[in-house]
Amino acid sequence: MKMLIPDQFHRRIRSALANQPLQAALDANANRRMIANQQAFVSLGEDLQVLRQRAHQCRKKTIENLDFFLEQFITQVKGNGIIVHRAGNAQQAVQYVLNIAQDNQAKLIAKSKTMVSEEIGLNPVLEATGIRVIETDLGEFIVQLRGERPSHIITPAVHLRRAEVGQTFHEKLNIPYSQDVPTLTAAARKVLRETFLTADIGISGVNFGVVESGTLCLVTNEGNGRMVTTLPKIHIALMGIERLVPTFDDLALMLSLLTRAATGQKITVYVSLINSPRGEKDPDGATQRHLILVDNGRDLMRKSPLAEALLCIRCGACLNACPVFREIGGHSYVSKTGEGSPYPGPIGSIISPVFFGGPEFGQLARASSLCGACREVCPVDIDLPKLLLRERAGGVKLESAQALQNIPGGVVLGLRLYTWFAKKPGRFALAEKAGYLLSRMFSPFSHWLWLPGFTGWGYSKDMPSLARRSFRKRWAEGEYRSSVDVTFTHDGFQNQEKGLDKIEEETKASEKSRNEPALPGSEDLVNRFSEELIALEGTLTYCYIDKDSKASSDELQRNIRAFLQDKGVKKIQAWESNQLPEKLVSSLQSSGINIVNEPDPEIRIGLTGALAGIAETGSLVIPSGPGRPLTASLLPEIHLAVLRASDIYENLAQVLKLPDIRESASAVVISGPSRTGDIEMTHTIGVHGPMELHVFCLLCR
Amino acid sequence: MDEIVQLLVTCIIDSLYPETGEAVVRVLNRAGVSVEFPPDQTCCGQPAFNAGMRGLSRSLAEQTIRVFEKTQGAIVVPSGSCTAMIRHGYPELFQGDPDWLRRVKTISERTYEFSEFLVDILGVSDVGASISDSYTYHASCHLLRGLGVSYQPRTLLKTIRGGKFTELPHSEECCGFGGLFSIEHPEVSGAMLDRKITNIEASGANLIVSCDAGCITNINGGLHRLGKPQRAIHIADLLAGSIPDKPNH
Repeated sequence: MKMLIPDQFHRRIRSALANQPLQAALDANANRRMIANQQAFVSLGEDLQVLRQRAHQCRKKTIENLDFFLEQFITQVKGNGIIVHRAGNAQQAVQYVLNIAQDNQAKLIAKSKTMVSEEIGLNPVLEATGIRVIETDLGEFIVQLRGERPSHIITPAVHLRRAEVGQTFHEKLNIPYSQDVPTLTAAARKVLRETFLTADIGISGVNFGVVESGTLCLVTNEGNGRMVTTLPKIHIALMGIERLVPTFDDLALMLSLLTRAATGQKITVYVSLINSPRGEKDPDGATQRHLILVDNGRDLMRKSPLAEALLCIRCGACLNACPVFREIGGHSYVSKTGEGSPYPGPIGSIISPVFFGGPEFGQLARASSLCGACREVCPVDIDLPKLLLRERAGGVKLESAQALQNIPGGVVLGLRLYTWFAKKPGRFALAEKAGYLLSRMFSPFSHWLWLPGFTGWGYSKDMPSLARRSFRKRWAEGEYRSSVDVTFTHDGFQNQEKGLDKIEEETKASEKSRNEPALPGSEDLVNRFSEELIALEGTLTYCYIDKDSKASSDELQRNIRAFLQDKGVKKIQAWESNQLPEKLVSSLQSSGINIVNEPDPEIRIGLTGALAGIAETGSLVIPSGPGRPLTASLLPEIHLAVLRASDIYENLAQVLKLPDIRESASAVVISGPSRTGDIEMTHTIGVHGPMELHVFCLLCR
Repeated sequence: MDEIVQLLVTCIIDSLYPETGEAVVRVLNRAGVSVEFPPDQTCCGQPAFNAGMRGLSRSLAEQTIRVFEKTQGAIVVPSGSCTAMIRHGYPELFQGDPDWLRRVKTISERTYEFSEFLVDILGVSDVGASISDSYTYHASCHLLRGLGVSYQPRTLLKTIRGGKFTELPHSEECCGFGGLFSIEHPEVSGAMLDRKITNIEASGANLIVSCDAGCITNINGGLHRLGKPQRAIHIADLLAGSIPDKPNH
């Protein structure tokens, strides 16, 4: 009877299906994301299926031993000087944030994307106490301006077209209406830059917590994650207790899968690695850092048949692949009372009932054809269809009473009747006969039955009539008991080479397995670094130096001077001279360049060194520390970096082993200029971080 | 000639498409295999399992296991979905019950989807079938992603004589059936089916070959409602050379 009086869920679904701009947006998302992901996975150094299984095992081990890992992690984090709070439920987590805000008389909070904050309902509570909270992720910013919730865990504004964003910005930001994505992005940059510089507190999520070192890892593209963890005095990180990886090697593996599955990138523009508050001699970074570890049903889930859902690394791939999400979008995933969940799609339908109540949200798991597309794309191989079925069968306790609350009454009755008939072959045969007679009665002249819409089936399909004589009847009457067709000769058969294609595929895959990593600075690595950096829209200039000379080459000085002259820039923010190649700073100063270490909103160019480069992704690795302001690679429009070719390594895993990564208060891996795809997935450069990245690579002659 | 297989015909083919069941028998016979049909079989229990009513599902699963335990040889199922139920659904359904799990294991190790059995077990790719119409292939979800059966039906299709094969765009996308999903969520199911039908039209083929009668019922139901000339058929119908008369009257 569902169709006569649609409930909240069905009402949302119908309006989503009738919403043309939404349908266009969802189609574009599904198409582009799936193509991007497939391309990105090709770039993996090893066979995807091997890596997926490794990642699955790693996550499984972590979740199975979560108490142990969590305790170790907390010890490390505390030892690093970060204040740890453990919240059992959403209210406690919100209260911790509120206490920190009130203790510090905070008026303005800048937030980067954190799904946990959506889960615990943070913003409304803070706003009710008079604290302004501003979302700084472009997509989140757009939905906040519109008074909506994110409709996707990775791309919050995926449900909107550029015209709608233009209208929103026109109304809320008082700018002329525009449909031009770079114009809209620039407008957000301008408004939010002010927020970053004046916020009392920055709130972020955490993608992974590294147990061995207590490092908080955060991936972003726009640079807002770096802003909120670097500029405000106080940083609060919100993290689900399950988001741990035991080691840096595990982190490298997870990141390689997360970013590819999420956005089709080999790596996001920024990977922040936060160890501790600003060191005594550090020029910038938050002075106080808090980590709020949120349980909110996770421990219960861990001990339930839904435990596998905790393996999730929140890449959003299952949303992009899901044919149901593609039709209805994230905002349609609502409870019986019409309340939305921040976690839509296949994974959301499994975890939302645990976080927000099984009786209310259990119905979501029924909105799946169990087609398995979600599992196929899951980078950690979560058996999502199996978990959806467990949710349907009663959730964390597999309670049939809870299951029944979410199954439509007609379906329950129908299945009970059907099973009663199917338990006895004789009865079943009778039912088949009765079914045939009924279908003839309703449709005497056609093979097809027209069923009314409220039956569900009749909504968009016709039903074939049952057969006059079922297979079992035909068989019983002896028509097909003949064993082998003797008239047929064997000549028609060909021996099929058993799954030859498959074996070939497997062989190729294993051949692809990686060679030994090359030595840092080898010609091959430098070339690949250059190619990758350029592909990310960065530039690379080689500057030759003498092998034994410690002095910075004339060529480097010349190149940088020429660059600044070309841009007409007289003042830059730079690392201190002892952190850059010798004589570089003095030579620039002597040519009339004013060099400062402190951030200044007026400065257009920042000059830094780099600890290392990564050939696989064209990335720079930049640690914080005395004389090395993080803001120099973040606030100016243009970032210039000096990198020694001998510091270019093969991959992220190697770089994460460098001592500076763990010893500095924080480090960042930068891959190209800041970018976003939050408006119609249109690739746009320069959101919050630099719009240009130029690397000067020092090569020995 | 001495190999005997047990046919698990599935409730849908039994009651809606007995001709397809017969086609399955004929193709297996042609491949040199004798077919037996345990008459006490009814339904594997998947509808209740997918609905979340595991008690009901279990009673039918137990019955199915009891019926086939008494028999010998491979169990051949002309449905990817029902095969996946036995292979993956049963172990889930009987979790925590070691006695039944042992029985499940014995049964599921004998169970094969029809095209999988022909190609992987019998090593047959050509059963001498021919066709004059244009046709395409819909990779049903439980077959493709549940069982990992992908090249087997395509291998069989490659040996068909005559006719014209074209690729179905997004062949691996769900048609929107999903069993009771199509009844509980007719709006979404219908939208997914519309997409499938658009792709069918783009393929230019008249016949859509599938290994699952559920998808076939769904796709044909939509095609008929829209008055489209194409129709979906079971791979066994094509292989047996007995494509049923056009039912769209």
